[in-house]
Amino acid sequence: MLSTLLLIPFLGAFVLLFWPGQPVPGRMRVVTIVVLALQLAWSLRVLLAFDPDVGGMQLQESFAWVSSIGLDYRLGIDGLSLPLVVINAALTLVSAVCTRDISQRPRIYFALLLLISGAVNGAFLAENLLLFFLFYELELVPLWLLISIWGGSERAYAATKFLIFTAVSGVLILGAFLGLALFTGTVDFSLTPVLSERLAMGSQLLLLGALLIGFGIKIPLVPFHTWLPDAHTQASTPVSVLLAGVLLKLGTYGLLRFCLGMFPEAWALLAPWLAGWAAVSVLYGSLAAIAQRDMKRMVAYSSVGHMGYILLAAAAATPVSLLGAVFQMVSHGLISALLFLLVGIVYRKTGTRDLEVLRGLLNPERGLPFTGTLMILGVMASAGLPGMAGFISEFLVFRGSLEAFPLATLLCMVGSGLTAVYFLLLVNRAFFGRMAITPASDPVADARLDIRLAAVAPRETIPAMALAVGVVLIGLFPAWLGRISEAASTTMAQLPALLASLQISGVG
Amino acid sequence: MPLPDALPLPIQLAWLIPLYGFSGMVLSLPWATGWIKRNGPRPAAYLNLLMTLVAVLHGSLLIQEVLSLGPQHLDIPWFHAADLDLRIGFDLSLTNLAALELVTGMSLIGQVFALGYLDKEWSLARFFALLGFFEGAMAGVVLSSNLFMSYFLLEMLTLSTYLLVGFWYAQPLVVTAARDAFLTKRVGDVLLLMGVVALSAWAGSMEFDDLYVWAAQTPFSPLAASLLGLGLIAGPMGKCAQFPMHLWLDEAMEGPNPASILRNSVVVTCGSVVLLKLMPVVRISPVATTVLLAVGTISALGGALVAIAQVDLKRAFSYSTTSYLGLVFIAIAFEQPLLALLLLFTHGLAKALLFMSVGSVIATTNCQDLTELGGLGPRMPATTTAFLVAGAGLTGLLPLGCFWGYGLLVQTLWPQAPLLAGIVLLTNALTALNLVRVFRQVFLDVSHPKTRRAQEVNWLMALPMVSLAVLVLVTPLVIQRLDSLHSLTTFSGLTTVLVVASGSIGLVAGCLIRLDRFWSRSVIKPLRTLQDLLAYDFYTDRIYRATIVAFVSGLATLTNSVDRVLVNGLVNRIGSASMASAESLKLGVSGQLQSYVLTVLVAIVLLLGSLSWFHG
Repeated sequence: MLSTLLLIPFLGAFVLLFWPGQPVPGRMRVVTIVVLALQLAWSLRVLLAFDPDVGGMQLQESFAWVSSIGLDYRLGIDGLSLPLVVINAALTLVSAVCTRDISQRPRIYFALLLLISGAVNGAFLAENLLLFFLFYELELVPLWLLISIWGGSERAYAATKFLIFTAVSGVLILGAFLGLALFTGTVDFSLTPVLSERLAMGSQLLLLGALLIGFGIKIPLVPFHTWLPDAHTQASTPVSVLLAGVLLKLGTYGLLRFCLGMFPEAWALLAPWLAGWAAVSVLYGSLAAIAQRDMKRMVAYSSVGHMGYILLAAAAATPVSLLGAVFQMVSHGLISALLFLLVGIVYRKTGTRDLEVLRGLLNPERGLPFTGTLMILGVMASAGLPGMAGFISEFLVFRGSLEAFPLATLLCMVGSGLTAVYFLLLVNRAFFGRMAITPASDPVADARLDIRLAAVAPRETIPAMALAVGVVLIGLFPAWLGRISEAASTTMAQLPALLASLQISGVG
Repeated sequence: MPLPDALPLPIQLAWLIPLYGFSGMVLSLPWATGWIKRNGPRPAAYLNLLMTLVAVLHGSLLIQEVLSLGPQHLDIPWFHAADLDLRIGFDLSLTNLAALELVTGMSLIGQVFALGYLDKEWSLARFFALLGFFEGAMAGVVLSSNLFMSYFLLEMLTLSTYLLVGFWYAQPLVVTAARDAFLTKRVGDVLLLMGVVALSAWAGSMEFDDLYVWAAQTPFSPLAASLLGLGLIAGPMGKCAQFPMHLWLDEAMEGPNPASILRNSVVVTCGSVVLLKLMPVVRISPVATTVLLAVGTISALGGALVAIAQVDLKRAFSYSTTSYLGLVFIAIAFEQPLLALLLLFTHGLAKALLFMSVGSVIATTNCQDLTELGGLGPRMPATTTAFLVAGAGLTGLLPLGCFWGYGLLVQTLWPQAPLLAGIVLLTNALTALNLVRVFRQVFLDVSHPKTRRAQEVNWLMALPMVSLAVLVLVTPLVIQRLDSLHSLTTFSGLTTVLVVASGSIGLVAGCLIRLDRFWSRSVIKPLRTLQDLLAYDFYTDRIYRATIVAFVSGLATLTNSVDRVLVNGLVNRIGSASMASAESLKLGVSGQLQSYVLTVLVAIVLLLGSLSWFHG
């Protein structure tokens, strides 16, 4: 059942690559959308087959592949990965739908899109460290190509930066996985927690440190974040949607699954520092976002801030906070995808994303009123206003982490307040006031009243509307998502506690 | 529904009450977004009015049922995970239902008024959609029985205030006003969120009743108690526009007047109701209680003083709202919940009426500058009467609404804190002065070019205004009725004399001060400094800009430059350094096979050596 989730996108990519005749962009897009719709439908089927009462892995599939080096094909799904699999299918579909003006090499573009989606699914489903690593790397090159071929004017710099950063991240992760085999002397790459009777604490800390930096680059956490704003600003809208909505989640997923899940003891030791790191990351990202002029950069820095909450939640590792981490992953995926989509619409219609230039876009007849309305919804959701997904996620994270790390949690809440500051500035500058899309320094052009932006067709806003509906639904009925993930997050949270009690009884 | 079927239907369906407002919003969307363009935006307004009417009727039915059955509680699970249990709870007590009727009734009256006031507004549907949202959130806040739900809805109130203030978003002043309204309230909300999260983690249950028990039983360290208490009062402080978070209400007057009516009467009431419900928890911290008292006192006096120096018709009264809510805060700090509710109720009615009267003036003259208004009295009799009734209702002079509040407050404070009682009396005098001076300028004085051709407003505005005026006039009867239940109006003759005297002093002073245009900004230096100080609200906005705004933007700039120069610069330098070394290494390659073999050998030896060292 799970292998189908990999088969659909990979087969789709092959079909596109070997589609007979000259590729027509429209037809390629339709085929991709059909494949992705299938993938989404299958993900929902998995959702139906999923038993939310079981905390561990379900629907497992396994067959020995290269057992001599410990590489087995083992797939499984639990309450942590299931929402991400669904989000992956949905957001790839969204980014395929919102790819409209692709003229060069549509065949490769859509094939890469499918490849990424399949690889991400593989990474979320893999139950073997090496298998995870394979998929983790598999997603890297297509994304690099997507940025460096279909990106903006500085795409070469951004794409190379992305490639180097993420490759280093991959090397560190692989190093940690191999180091595990080396230190323990076995070729066991299953997801069993590594305890101190198997491995000394010093080595554990070393491996965990490598993993933390590796995933910290991917998430990204300060100071490893500089690739993200550049990649986002140069990537096209659909790629940004994918990058923010899905690929960053690989990092946080890895943080929860491999750092917290594999090294619970070392994790508990480092947790206070990690909470501090989370607070720094949140504040740094939020403050840096305030100073941005480019809307896309601002949203990118907001990602840096919002990903910090997940590190905080993981550091606290209580059932509520881990559930909050899952919520935050899902809601950040939806909200940041929504924001990038809307910024993309603004960019397409006005030709700029500069907040010093854009004014009054809410203008009813000549501006982008509906896009502006959705933008207000999106930024309010991101700022954690109740009734939308951001609030319940942040509430769970804060509520779960407060007792463990009061100071770090309070600082993160300040960061949540700062989110309101920069996103309000964005809306106020770009959408309120009198309409203008020329720099204020040019008084003649600035006073022009005849600006008339091309109307946004309803079909252009359909993906954004779908995401907005999702954001509101999760915000109003969080129990649906909670039901899926609660068992898994509780199981994960019990891991450190269980080990602690085992140790105490063992010593006693 | 986890309720026995024996309960009457209105109670079982009480959870619908906030949804009426929200559904009004949803129903307006087709017109607000422009999907339906053929028949103008009016249907959205009618749908909203209908939903509000249903809410009022449902509320009345609830009151009847509760009168016969006693208070009820409705509880619906919302989200449950591990040790976290978030619920939707409605407390159907008489006080809550009275507040509900105030909110929905004011919303109804305000919406009818808005139909007249915003007659020619192109985006009427959007306005009514926002009003529906506003009303739904408020109705939920006053009925809420747990802190989580109250917080949830308070934030929605913040959002809808932002959108309502920003309704005319193309005007520059509106842009800053909306921004400040949102950010000020958001600061309070984030602090409140800290308190909510802490209470949720420590106390478990979020029901107010459970929190009271928990707060009474749990020992706290002074620091934790103070932080918790301060966090909890910060949210209501922002909502009620108390010093130092009062700036937004004044700026919010840039929004459409019908929203100002609601904001100045019932929104601030919602904030205070939440504070009232939180008070038994806040009480654990003496620091927070003291701060509450100080904030209330400063707001009461400061607001009344600043109001006198305003030349903008709406702002003169928005500051008076700040002042009045300061009195409510004093009452809450002295743990007089009934008194606070009485103050809120009487103030809400009278202030709404005042804003309707002011709105009528603005709608007729298209002007809200006091120095350009005058002589409207004979031209707009209904509006003038409404102003007089509202003014009488707001001051402690005639035995209308607020007189009783002032009397009781003075009576309560006199034995414990005579100074505070004096401040209350002074506030009364200043409020009366402010009302009289505005009345003289707008309604008496000679007519100005802008008021010469003024005429009475249309019936859509006059009807709600006159109805509300009647309501304000009969408040004493309502109070008398309540009096038999709670003995509210028993205060001594001395207090009566004091209150009436302070009101009369204000009245006389207001009649005597010079109001001609040249005095609005005097040439006499000290007087002018004082006038400017008050007119610019003690320069609070400049203080903010110089402190907190400068701090945050400075920090942001600093972070950004660190990010660009240090972090990103380091990355780029590593990149260029490796490129440079590669370039130079390229020249160092000899091309001899032996050297390659040697390099490979050395590398292998080093690698193996390090591995065995590491492993051993």
